[in-house]
Amino acid sequence: MRISRIPRRAVAAGAVLAVLLPLSACGDGGDDGGSTDASGKIEGKITFQTWNLKANFKPYFEGLVAEFEDKYPGTDVKWVDQPGEGYADKISADAAAGTLPDVVNVSPDLVAPLAKAGLALDLGKAAGKYEKEYLPGAWKSHQIPGTEGTYAFPWYLNTGPLFYNKRLFKEAGLDENKPPKTYDQLFGQALQLAKKSDGKVATLANVPTIEDFGRYGVPLMNKEGTGFTFNDAKGVELLTEYKKLYDAKALDGQALTATPESTGKKFLTEAVAMNPGSALDLEKFKKEAPKLYKNIGITPQISSTGKDNMYVMGVMVNARTKQTPAAVAFAHFVTDAEHQMEFAKKVAIFPSTRGSLDDPYFTEQDGKEETRVRVAAAKSIKTAVNYTPVLFSEQMKVELRNAVAKALQGKESPEEALDNAVKNCDRLLKQS
Amino acid sequence: MKTRTADRIKIRRQLPTSPWLFAAPGLAIVAVFILYPFVSTLNNSFTDKRTLIPGEYVGLANFRELLHDDMFWIGLRNSTLYVLVVVPALVLLPLLLAMLVQKHIPGITFFRSAFYTPVVASIVVVGLIWVWMLDERGLVNAVLEAVGVGKVGFLSDQWLLLFSAMAVTVWKGLGYYMIIYLAALANVPRELHEAAAVDGAGAVRRFFSVTVPAVRSTMVLVGALSSVAAFKVFSEVYLMAGPTGGPAGEDTTLVMLVQRTGTGLTGRVGYASAISVVVFVVTVALMLLVLRADRKEDA
Repeated sequence: MRISRIPRRAVAAGAVLAVLLPLSACGDGGDDGGSTDASGKIEGKITFQTWNLKANFKPYFEGLVAEFEDKYPGTDVKWVDQPGEGYADKISADAAAGTLPDVVNVSPDLVAPLAKAGLALDLGKAAGKYEKEYLPGAWKSHQIPGTEGTYAFPWYLNTGPLFYNKRLFKEAGLDENKPPKTYDQLFGQALQLAKKSDGKVATLANVPTIEDFGRYGVPLMNKEGTGFTFNDAKGVELLTEYKKLYDAKALDGQALTATPESTGKKFLTEAVAMNPGSALDLEKFKKEAPKLYKNIGITPQISSTGKDNMYVMGVMVNARTKQTPAAVAFAHFVTDAEHQMEFAKKVAIFPSTRGSLDDPYFTEQDGKEETRVRVAAAKSIKTAVNYTPVLFSEQMKVELRNAVAKALQGKESPEEALDNAVKNCDRLLKQS
Repeated sequence: MKTRTADRIKIRRQLPTSPWLFAAPGLAIVAVFILYPFVSTLNNSFTDKRTLIPGEYVGLANFRELLHDDMFWIGLRNSTLYVLVVVPALVLLPLLLAMLVQKHIPGITFFRSAFYTPVVASIVVVGLIWVWMLDERGLVNAVLEAVGVGKVGFLSDQWLLLFSAMAVTVWKGLGYYMIIYLAALANVPRELHEAAAVDGAGAVRRFFSVTVPAVRSTMVLVGALSSVAAFKVFSEVYLMAGPTGGPAGEDTTLVMLVQRTGTGLTGRVGYASAISVVVFVVTVALMLLVLRADRKEDA
């Protein structure tokens, strides 16, 4: 009897296909999504994802989840936290695999591509009744030009003061009690500081970002959200001034490759005179640089518009959740006035709910330095603006940064560099 | 008896497929983690796929765009330069080091271990240490200032930054290739050196006429391995030049460009895949070039 042999190639091809074919179905998620109707019974199991909050606020979030589950019997909230580093990559991997949690902590720039891909629930429709609970500016921060809808509940707001080194200011013959408030004052004082220190002390360690262009009064984007405009005369003027700073060593020599960590270290070692920060930094200065702490000065952000920059955090609901009522209810529960206030007392953030900033906690002084920073920041946040356009992606930030670097190095004129940056950002915008 | 015959037939029947069954776990791993990503990348390179949008076939549009993308040419220039500088250093220096520590003298084990230490150290830790040392206020600049040279912008000048990253790659790779050379040198008969010495050959002559021919195949192996690794460099440059790839992105390498272009919620997966395909083609070409050079030498 002859035994029939299976050709080896056929076996190999079969094995490969058996593995690859099921995999080829992966990746794009599929539109098996849930409902936009949040009016049903609040029940079921949902997952809530935060952004690097477990290490410091575990008891707060465990309490929050328990409180919600008590309030709505039949609900089961699973809380997961992701590290700060690579958060956008984690979300994009989950979104592509169709495993995005039901309720997700996001920033406006993260929510924009998710909303465009139909993965963020339009809360304007599903939970529009809650709009009046939030500050108007905060509610609008998760709206995307070119689309209708609001794609996340506003959560906490943040703005930071600018720290400066009084000793370095004094040594340069500047009045250490009158730090710069506007960009024009900053440019003048920075040049003097560099000149007096013979180029050894820079005032700034960061190249201008999109927020700087906003605070200088540069229009960043057209109203339709279809193109960037930061290459206008005002933008060119700002970059030209920064070039003067760079040439005079008033802007640190390593600013072109600086990271927030490296600039923080330079300020700590008194190599630069000014650096943005938050109330949390004071404790760090006290511990790690007592000499600096003795000479620390605190001033509002530099702004020529009279409005500071603020960062907004949001909580979005996955449009494909199977438990829309529970997910929307939980997202609102996390961001309502009571819980935002409770969270704000644990960390230096500010609530985005109406009236919360009038709480004595944000208005009354108690003689402590931390309170002074908090009260000043709360005052500025009432008029602050989130200057970063929601459509300004990470790739666009790199384009702007590279253009700024080329202008500062003199490889391109400020005008040419910004024109190229706008051209490249517009191209990326069309491709997104 | 009858049962035995039946068993034999059964075993024979199973024979053609059983090797495949044994190989199946390995094949599955290769298929899932190598073959599928490769085919998928190749497929994506002809699409305009985004992270969250499936995309459509666009033919060779991504490759045509590469030709007009300044950043691609910067990446190709830097990756090629990396190969040209790092590979000769990693072929030659570990050989010299291996010859140095090959001798059996007291305490040599300490030096062998010391030279190997950077290999086992985490690249992130190594990168950060070098960033601290090369900073404007770091150890290296302090020494240079003390001897009157003045501050050098290792981390702010585009070329110094790239060459600093190359130096870290060489420093970290020395120990690894040294071990490979030590194994090769152990197989070089001592008699050859003795005979050459009797014939009046000095140390340099013996190096070129005895040592190099004896370890030539190992040098080819080191050349092939280090050229592939150098062309695909990412960590050293990323850690030292930052996520933007140095001032104005001038230190970006091709793999950094793949990472920057293809990741995140707005990542251009199709375009990044096209860059990956170019990296793959160049890497294969490099391997073939090294192997061909070896064959020519043999002929």
